[in-house]
Amino acid sequence: MADFLSFDTLSLHAGQTLDKEFGSRAQPIHQTTSYVFPDTDTASSLFNLERGGHVYNRISNPTISVLEQRVAALEGGSASVCVSSGMSAVFCALTAIVSQGDHIVASANMYGGNISLLKNTLPRFGITTTFVDPTDLKSLESAIQENTKIVFGELIGNPGLSIMDIEGAAKICKKNHLPLMIDGTFNTPYLCRCFEHGANIIVHSLTKWMGGHGTSIGGVVVDGGNFDWGLNNNFPTLTEAYAPFTGINFWEEFGPSAFATRIRAEAMRDIGPSMSPMNAFLLLQGIETLSLRMDKHLSNTKAFLEYLSNHEQVSWVNHPDLPDHDSHEMAKKYMPRGAGSIITFGVKGGRDAGKAFIENVKLASHLANVGDAKTLIIHPATTTHSRIDAEALIAAGITEDMVRISVGIEDVSDIQDDFNKGFRAAKKFC
Amino acid sequence: MYFEINKKNVYASTGGKAFTKDQPLVLFIHGSGLDHTFWGLHSRFFAFRNYSVLCLDTPGHTNSDGPALNSIEEMGDWVNDVITHLDAKQISIVGHSQGCLVGMEYASRYPEKIKSVSFITSGYETPVNSFLLDAAENNPEIAVNKMISWGFGKAGHMFQGTIPGNSMLIGGYKTMYKNPLHTDLHACNNYKGGKKAASSITAPCQLILAGKDLMAPRKSGMALADALPQTRELHVIDDCGHMLPLESPNECRNLLKNFIFSNNPTG
Repeated sequence: MADFLSFDTLSLHAGQTLDKEFGSRAQPIHQTTSYVFPDTDTASSLFNLERGGHVYNRISNPTISVLEQRVAALEGGSASVCVSSGMSAVFCALTAIVSQGDHIVASANMYGGNISLLKNTLPRFGITTTFVDPTDLKSLESAIQENTKIVFGELIGNPGLSIMDIEGAAKICKKNHLPLMIDGTFNTPYLCRCFEHGANIIVHSLTKWMGGHGTSIGGVVVDGGNFDWGLNNNFPTLTEAYAPFTGINFWEEFGPSAFATRIRAEAMRDIGPSMSPMNAFLLLQGIETLSLRMDKHLSNTKAFLEYLSNHEQVSWVNHPDLPDHDSHEMAKKYMPRGAGSIITFGVKGGRDAGKAFIENVKLASHLANVGDAKTLIIHPATTTHSRIDAEALIAAGITEDMVRISVGIEDVSDIQDDFNKGFRAAKKFC
Repeated sequence: MYFEINKKNVYASTGGKAFTKDQPLVLFIHGSGLDHTFWGLHSRFFAFRNYSVLCLDTPGHTNSDGPALNSIEEMGDWVNDVITHLDAKQISIVGHSQGCLVGMEYASRYPEKIKSVSFITSGYETPVNSFLLDAAENNPEIAVNKMISWGFGKAGHMFQGTIPGNSMLIGGYKTMYKNPLHTDLHACNNYKGGKKAASSITAPCQLILAGKDLMAPRKSGMALADALPQTRELHVIDDCGHMLPLESPNECRNLLKNFIFSNNPTG
């Protein structure tokens, strides 16, 4: 008999306590702002973090907690906090640690929103970032400064698809006693459980493969419970008295869930990026079938790689599962099932050909999202990454002719037929 | 807070309020491989109701200097050293599992300041099977897996819990993995003085057992109940495993509250 429940079982059951009154099998949606206190003593206990429970929806909610506990279970984290979006998750996680004058080392090959937050927004508050090539561990190490507080990267960079060597980065972080935060949106815990490779914090946009149906925006921060915040004096937000909660010391009182508790106590209360209970419900429905969907995403991706690699109008194809990809060995190491279902490729004929291609596919949806069950396409240089400068575009591995596909779970032959129509329209620009 | 005992740093969390020797003390003692964070859902409650609180990290655990102590008797003496050093008075002991054995030793041999003793999920002896002892020494990952798997009931395994977003199972694993489980389990296995110690406790006793406890089965808990003075309270929380203070924190806290408030009032 196994010691613990397995991934698929946890995807369906983790976190949910069956309601005793009605026996509702699906997790009920607690669409409420607040919760009636049974007595004043309980009320004050809840406010003072003496007991678990819910006070106000901005801080926590029973439906959202099930989602939080389910993601923590799937990732192997000690605690998690759900927020309104993946970007909120990144912001809340970083600002739980960094303050004015602090420094971040981050991968240059990340989602444009992450880059913009680090490059444009956080500097206004005195927090600076050095961007590095995530595949170059030497540059990562040399970017660490005395005031560095965290190292941040995506396991699968978006949209360049380089794979970060988490174990190598974790070793450097350990040596310098810094937490390693990984954005695991593109891999999901089904493809890689990053804590097992040394990550200390994981963030996700749940909007993508975890939810998987393009219905709900949401994010999560997962606390690995595996970082010693008290080893030195470098993390005062966790190890010094926090006045708003009667001088609470998160590290001393909450140990392996100190980081998550700080986010709930501060960011959720003072900034308020709460998820809606309805979104939590929909995201839970998605997670129930995560492994089934991911397997289909991967088998379709494999078929698509073959199709694109052999297409005469495709100038290049980029996916870490391809043997000639720079990160192929890393992909095999960290994601033996497959390195996700995002493919980027170049359409011969440049920008105009790419435009014609995108405008003439009908089944694949042209939109700014990934990880939907449906196949999605976009031109990153003019959309998701349009707000970053030319130099950063190159650093992120984005070219003018790049088309990004998020491979869905349709019958792959139908999507290939659809792409054939797009390629026919693009041919006149070749 | 940190203090020194025998020239070694000792850590105890205090529930978010500074320790003061003039208030009644609730002294929490953790089980094998665990630490002060085990008591997070109990310690703040008492600290904010005019009790001093100490949730000890016993030697070699988490924030306290090692080495870990080899016997329950040594741990009982060490607790006495802590109490003497801090000059605490009017003490309510709350122990979990191994912490109960330590509490028995301390309360039976140093009864003067003890106002109440609460034992949570324990017998008066805790024999440990040879497989687990061997694993703890030679393959800690397996031992911690078994301890956590057997230790938690359904709520833990299903990642339920009262603290939004928290996984007590994984939190427990992370804590236990870094602590000297092997030394603790040996100390438990070798301890044979529990029946005598339990029967000689003079302070009011409370025993809280878990109906689904695989680590300290109900039968051994009932044997401890029989060994304690007739005045003891006995409670069984049915749908709960060995890690009862985490799995049923509200029920556990209410039982502790009623017992400690009546036997060790703050005045």
